[in-house]
Amino acid sequence: MTDPAAWPDAYGDRLFRYALSRLRDARAAEELVQETLVTAFRSRDRFQGASSELTWMTGILRNKIFEHLRRQAKEAALGAVDDGAREDGLFAEDGHWTKSGAPADWGGEPAKAAESAEFAAALRACLDALTPAVAQAFVLREMEGLGPAACAEALGVPSNHLAVLLYRARMRLRRCLERSWFAPEPAR
Amino acid sequence: MKLLPDCRDMSSRLSEARDSGRALTLGERLHLLMCAWCRRFRVQLDVLGLAAARAPEGGPSLSAEAKARIRRALGA
Repeated sequence: MTDPAAWPDAYGDRLFRYALSRLRDARAAEELVQETLVTAFRSRDRFQGASSELTWMTGILRNKIFEHLRRQAKEAALGAVDDGAREDGLFAEDGHWTKSGAPADWGGEPAKAAESAEFAAALRACLDALTPAVAQAFVLREMEGLGPAACAEALGVPSNHLAVLLYRARMRLRRCLERSWFAPEPAR
Repeated sequence: MKLLPDCRDMSSRLSEARDSGRALTLGERLHLLMCAWCRRFRVQLDVLGLAAARAPEGGPSLSAEAKARIRRALGA
């Protein structure tokens, strides 16, 4: 195992970026990185070397992020604060997409865009614009890969409410990315 | 009663199916065959998921003060 004194320089930036991308709060991200490295230091005897130190520390940080989001969800009663008004205007009365709300063409190979660091930065900026409940649902489900039941439990909401939060997150993120990342063009 | 789901129904059903992992119904598949916008929407959900799952590469760094504070907390 490497010298713990070198951990902040060796792993601090990557752990911080991981935490920040999920928490969207630099101070909280810093605190969780500190807690992570202190926990790693105290339990260093249990590190078997089966994975890299960074992978091991990221696992510790991940658990701390879950705890943080769970605590935040409890304190803020997140399930009650999102009214969904921003989905207005996407659909016509007959239930079909409106011309202005319809999904735009994201280019020939949109999956390639997902691999770029710039797209990831645009996604994070769009995530910042979401309400906390909607953002946290998306972070737990799509960034952390938590199953729907575990997400609902972490956020303290019933599973049908989680589905609504995830739907709103996806609808708003794709709209935001169309405005900030993809050049708008007629859908068809 | 509607024979096929409309786009509003489809958008929420595609989101829900992504999480539940269920197969699409015949009506949903028929709608997708006929609707380019909903097909685009489905691709967009995949792209969002792919991008979100990627570890952040660039971006802000941990401040020098925070690193010093952590070193102190580690007793180093």
